[in-house]
Amino acid sequence: MLTLQSATKRYGALTALDKVSLTIADGEFFGLLGPNGAGKSTLMSLVAGLRAADSGSLSFDNAPLGPGAHAARGAIGLVPQTIALYADLTAQQNLSIFGGLQGLRGRDLDRRIDEALETAQLAERRHDPISTFSGGMQRRLNLVAALLHRPKLLLCDEPTVGVDPQSRNAIFEHLLRLNREGMTIVYSTHYMEEAERLCPRIGIIDHGRILALDTLDGLLTRLPFEDEISFPANDSTAPLLPDLAGNGEVVSGGDTHRFRPRTGYPLSSFFALTERFSLHPRLFVTHRPSLENLFLHLTGRTLRE
Amino acid sequence: MRNLLVLFRKDFLNFWRDRAAVIITFLVPIVLIYIFGYVFGLNKSGDSGPAGIDLAVVNLSSDPAAQVLVKALDAEKTFHVITTTKGADGRPRPLTEADARSAIRNNGYRFALVIPKDLIPDQGIGIHLKFLSNPRNEIEAQTVNGVLQKTIFTNVPSLLGRSLQESARRYVGAARLDTFNRSLATAIADTFGGDRTQILRNIESGGFGFPAEPKPAADTGLRRIDTPTPAATSAGTPKAAQDSTDRVRDVFDHIIRIDSEQVVGRQVKNPMASRLVGGYAIMFLLFAASGSSTSLFEEKKAGVFLRLLSGPVTRGQILGAKFLFGVVLGLIQLTVLFLAGQVLYNLDLWSHLAPLLVVSLFASAACSSFGMAIAAVSPTQGAAQGLTTFLVLTMSAIGGAWFPVSFMPAFIQKLSHLTVVYWSVEGFTDVLWAGRSLVGVMPSLGALALMAALILSFALWRFNRGRLFD
Repeated sequence: MLTLQSATKRYGALTALDKVSLTIADGEFFGLLGPNGAGKSTLMSLVAGLRAADSGSLSFDNAPLGPGAHAARGAIGLVPQTIALYADLTAQQNLSIFGGLQGLRGRDLDRRIDEALETAQLAERRHDPISTFSGGMQRRLNLVAALLHRPKLLLCDEPTVGVDPQSRNAIFEHLLRLNREGMTIVYSTHYMEEAERLCPRIGIIDHGRILALDTLDGLLTRLPFEDEISFPANDSTAPLLPDLAGNGEVVSGGDTHRFRPRTGYPLSSFFALTERFSLHPRLFVTHRPSLENLFLHLTGRTLRE
Repeated sequence: MRNLLVLFRKDFLNFWRDRAAVIITFLVPIVLIYIFGYVFGLNKSGDSGPAGIDLAVVNLSSDPAAQVLVKALDAEKTFHVITTTKGADGRPRPLTEADARSAIRNNGYRFALVIPKDLIPDQGIGIHLKFLSNPRNEIEAQTVNGVLQKTIFTNVPSLLGRSLQESARRYVGAARLDTFNRSLATAIADTFGGDRTQILRNIESGGFGFPAEPKPAADTGLRRIDTPTPAATSAGTPKAAQDSTDRVRDVFDHIIRIDSEQVVGRQVKNPMASRLVGGYAIMFLLFAASGSSTSLFEEKKAGVFLRLLSGPVTRGQILGAKFLFGVVLGLIQLTVLFLAGQVLYNLDLWSHLAPLLVVSLFASAACSSFGMAIAAVSPTQGAAQGLTTFLVLTMSAIGGAWFPVSFMPAFIQKLSHLTVVYWSVEGFTDVLWAGRSLVGVMPSLGALALMAALILSFALWRFNRGRLFD
């Protein structure tokens, strides 16, 4: 079990992580969602032992975490945001180096390298320098390099940045399989779609603070609306706005209005209204609220700002 | 046109922000121009050329002219004249020839002039001197020889004149000396021009009778004492005057006898290669070591440190491995370069293998530390490359990799002792030129070890305070 208690980290005047408390159970697939600069990488680096917290404590399986805690770090694997590999070396050489540093030797190391290359679908390219790989291939290798020593806890710091959809899917499937096999995974991202797809429990972080922490459904119940209806912003839909404003929130952006009805407002009333103004139903699209909506609700800004 | 100017401004801004490019473009050439200019005598103040080369002078003669010669040498900026050594009681005593030989063998100094008891011999004409040398640096040795000749030629004409008078008295007898002097004055006036009466007066008074100050030859720095003196070449010198000077010098060459003896390095098969290979090897070793260390920036940029440090790897291990790699790479590089010297120039490696390997190891350690320090103080890889180019070229120039340290201004000569290049070149030359054993190269090894320790400690301290691992 990974535990953070009031973990705080400052860089000069900037508080990158502000009294964060968090518990992640064994076998959990936990998502850390926040925009760039929110504190996700700082939290990852504290857990990975790259930096020491200024105050508070971190532990994994009751063993303290930090730069000096080499024993605990042996149970952790980190997939950094960058392609943290030696670009001029081959895939096999890279895996051999990182496996060797984790204490693997001889046939055991060879076997795990073979497995990793198979998993990353790179067995055919094992003797090629990774600088000749596509971005997706490098990302897959970046992932499996963190798994050679079979860590109990895997930290994935935005591991799909710049990856094509096919490789992204491959990475997702592999992570889900690892999680099913019992590996605890902490996955940081600023893509809400990734968090929604992968993580049963999600923490939303911004300005170094955890703003919300719950399951996806639990988080969405924090929104003051259950549905969202978007429609074109033009002269034909303008007469709707006064009535809608009295029954919820209308957010206008560009050429689209978004209507978020108050809780209990029946959608049948909405569509009765559209009929009154002879507006075609195809103009209206109903959305389920997303983490994007929640983040906007919590912070007043979008995830990608 | 406007676009052209905007793009031009962009290039200029980019260039100006790249400190490495600015250093390489402006600072490196200025420093090298200054150093080369000094060495080749281009300094505006005229205060250039070799200075302060230790020259031991063993004066066994009681003739006052010998003292004149010693003072003349002492006044020459090229030399730092040493005439005494500490005796057993700790007090200074005059140097002996044995002292000089021993000091030359032990690298105390490289040149000694012995003024024998019979400076003006009873038999024969002229003066007799003995020159002892350790020409571990060819350019320096030739320069010392040249300046020594010039000093003798230009400062002791009276000595030569008196020598001639004494010889003439012996050979022709006192009664016929006057006739001899008149004939000699006539011959000199006919050959070189001038007033015969004045020349005769000079000869009789012990003056030599030639023009008092024969111009020092511009190329004296490039001749050996025991080789014939080529014609002095001075741009703009009228041909007649130059011919006259040439004849004077020919006469001097026959009158002054300097027995030159190389005390150290006679056994060396290829003197030039023995002197050169070490200097150039150490320069390229510094480049290689710095390149290796600055690869730390590439690893940081790739994020590899995050992966390493999140596993069971410490910062110390990362830096230690980098230092060790630099040492081993340096050792391999030096071995390959010396082997190339052996194949190409018949460099004698096998007689000195053990001390050569040990010096190479210590030099590699010092160079690897230097590379680590460059990486530690540089904010970016580009800055590190610029700093490397600047420091390596400067250290090579002042440390003796290209030309003798004695050719530098006095303050640079002192600075050179703080460079890895200086002590590495000293070590290699001690082994390959002087054939010293491990004990003999201990001073160089000690200096290199001390430098390696200090520079590496500084680098580690900087790494701990820096942001390389952030």
